[in-house]
Amino acid sequence: MLTDLYSQRALIWAFANRDFATRYRSSILGWAWSLIQPLATLIVFAAVFSVVFRIQAPPLGNGEGSSYAAFLFTGLVTWNLFAGLLNLSMTQLKSNGELLKKVQFPAWAPILGASIVQLVQVLLELLVLVLMLLFLRNVGWTWILAIPILLGTMLFAQGVGLMLSILNARFGDVMYIVAVVLGALYFLTPVLYPVSMIEGQNELLAWVIRLNPMTWYVEGMHESMYSLVAPPLWAVASLLVGGFAVFWIGLAVFDRGSEDIGELL
Amino acid sequence: MSEFAVDVQGVGKRFRRHTDRRNSLKERIVRGRARNPEDFWAVRDVTLQIPKGSVYGLIGHNGSGKSTLLKMIGGIYRATEGTIATDGRVAALIELGAGFHPDMTGRENIALNGSILGLPRKEILAVTDEIIDFSGLGDFINDPVKHYSSGMYVRLGFSVAVHMKPDVLLVDEVLAVGDEEFQRKCFDHLYSLRRAGKTIIVVSHGLGQLEGLCDEIAWLERGEMQEHGPAVETIAAYLRKVNADEAARNPMVSAVRGIDDDGARAGDQSVQVTRADVVDGNGTPITHAETGTTFTISLGITVPEAILGPNVRVALQHDSGTLVSMPNNHRWGIDFGTIQGEHTVRFAFVDNPLLPGRYRVHVDVFDYTGSRLLDSWNDAVEFAIRSPRGEIGQGLVELPVEITFE
Repeated sequence: MLTDLYSQRALIWAFANRDFATRYRSSILGWAWSLIQPLATLIVFAAVFSVVFRIQAPPLGNGEGSSYAAFLFTGLVTWNLFAGLLNLSMTQLKSNGELLKKVQFPAWAPILGASIVQLVQVLLELLVLVLMLLFLRNVGWTWILAIPILLGTMLFAQGVGLMLSILNARFGDVMYIVAVVLGALYFLTPVLYPVSMIEGQNELLAWVIRLNPMTWYVEGMHESMYSLVAPPLWAVASLLVGGFAVFWIGLAVFDRGSEDIGELL
Repeated sequence: MSEFAVDVQGVGKRFRRHTDRRNSLKERIVRGRARNPEDFWAVRDVTLQIPKGSVYGLIGHNGSGKSTLLKMIGGIYRATEGTIATDGRVAALIELGAGFHPDMTGRENIALNGSILGLPRKEILAVTDEIIDFSGLGDFINDPVKHYSSGMYVRLGFSVAVHMKPDVLLVDEVLAVGDEEFQRKCFDHLYSLRRAGKTIIVVSHGLGQLEGLCDEIAWLERGEMQEHGPAVETIAAYLRKVNADEAARNPMVSAVRGIDDDGARAGDQSVQVTRADVVDGNGTPITHAETGTTFTISLGITVPEAILGPNVRVALQHDSGTLVSMPNNHRWGIDFGTIQGEHTVRFAFVDNPLLPGRYRVHVDVFDYTGSRLLDSWNDAVEFAIRSPRGEIGQGLVELPVEITFE
C-alpha cells in the first residue's frame, strides 16, 4: 500500500503541480494571500483575546516575559495544518469527480497532491513563526522536536482526511457535520488559551480537552517552540507513530472504500 | 502472456437506480440499508475474448450496456460478477479532454493528462512535441485551454490519448471529433496503432465506420450479448433486427420501404419493383462484397400492362450521404422495348471500384420519356464493401491509376 504511494509519486506530483499552478492564478496578490490570511487572523485574535478577554500566555522559554501573539501563532500554525489538510482532502474527490468517472487511476493521488500544496502554505506560516520567535530571541534546541511533532500532525490529519473524503463521497452530509465538529474542536484545543487556565477552573472541561488528540500535538508544539521545554521522548515518538498509524489506517479504509469511486460520484 | 488482450468471462454489472440512491445520512438512517428494490443489470453474462492486435467493435442501441462494458474493461467500473483480464496497459478515450484544467495551458495539460493516463514523465516530455504537432494547435498550445474552441479541446484530448502508447485503447463514440481532415488523421493513427499490434476496442453508432475498421464486432442488447463474430455478419444481423423492429413499430414506414404494399409507394405503379437483391457471380444474395470484385444488383419488376421501354435507375448512396453513382439503362443506351409481365433487370458492377463502407440502393423507374415516375423505392437494399487492406478514409472509390517514377 505504501509502496503504491511511492510508485505513483509522479502522478501525485502532477496533481500537486496543477494545484500549485492554479491556486492563486486569477488573483493579483497570488501567494501573498497564504500569509495575509493567517496574519490577519493572528492580529484580530491577538487583539480580541489578549486585550478584551485578557488571556495571559505562559512565560516564554527564554525567561523574558510572555507573548500572547507568539503563543497563539504557535498553536494556530499547528491547527491550520490539521484543519487545512482535513478540509482540502474532503472536497478533492468531488472536485475531481469528472476525471475519476472517466479515467482509472488511484483516487488518493489528487488528494495527496492537493495536500502537498497545502503544506507549502504551512511552511510559509512556519517561517513567519520562526521569524517571530527569533525576534523575541526565544530560541532553543528543542525546536528540532517540532519537526517530528509537525510530521505527526500532518500524517494524523491526512489519515483522518482520507477517511472523511470517502465518507463524504458517499454521504453529502459529512462535509457539513465536519464543519460543525471542527468548529467545536477548535475551542476544545488549547490554541487561544493555555490548558493551565482551564485546570483548576473546570475539571470536566479540562479532562475533555486533554482527551482531544489535537491538544497533544498543539501542546507538543507549545512546549518545544514556545516554552523551549523538551517533551519526554516517548511522547514525541508516540505523536509521530500515532500519526503514522492513523495515516496508514486512513489509506487502508480509503483503498477499500474507493474501489467503486467511479460509480459513486 | 495470453493470446487475448482482453478476456471477459461471464461479466455482469448491477446498478442501483438513481431515484433510490441514499446519498445522505438521513435517508440511510431512515430507510435503512436493505431496501434495494430497483437494481437493474446494465450488463449481464457477457463473455468475450478479444485477440491481441485486433480491432473490436461494440454495437447496440442506447442503453444496451456497451459503454458500461467498456468502462469495466477500462477499470473505471467494477464488475458485479464475472472476471475481466487485460494484458498490457489500457488507455481509455471515454471522454476527450477529461481532466484538462481550464486555467492551465495546453502544454501544461499535456503533462498533467499524460501523468493521469499513466505515462512516465520522461516519456511524456518525449512525445509532447509530437502531440502538439498532431493536434495542429500551433501557438495556441501556450494559451489556457478555457480559451479553446470545443473542436480544439477535443483535438488536444485525442492527441494526448493516442500518444500514450497504450497496449489496449478503448474508444467511446469519440471518432466524430474535429473537422474532416482531423478525423482522417485520427483514423490513420488508429490504423497505425493497429499495424503496431495494439488492440483497439471501439464503441460507436457509425456502423459504416465500424465495418471498415473492425475485425470483429459484438452486438449487445439490454446488457446481453446478441451476437458476436466477423464485423460484416454482426452488423448485418443487427440491421435486420433494427429494420424488423422499425417495421413492427411503424407500419407506414415499412409500407413505403417494403414490397408488399404497393399502394403507399411513390409513382403511379404502372411498373412495380418487387424485389431488389445484391448478388454475387453465381446469383447468390450477399450482404457484402470486396473492393475489386464483381457484384450485381438484381431487380425484379412486374409490368401489368404493356408499356414502352421504361428507364430503370439505381442510385448508390454512401452511408455518409454522398451519392456515389446513379446508372440507368437509357443513359447506357439499353432499351427494353415494349414489355409486359415479370422481368429481371441486372446492374453488374464489374470489378467494382468502391472503397470500404456501407451503401444504400434506391431504385426509381421512369416512363419512356423520363418525365413520369412509375415506381420509386427508397432504401431498397443495402450492402457493405470490405477491403482486405482496410482502406477507410481514403475516399469513396479507387480510380484506375498508374503511378510512375523516374
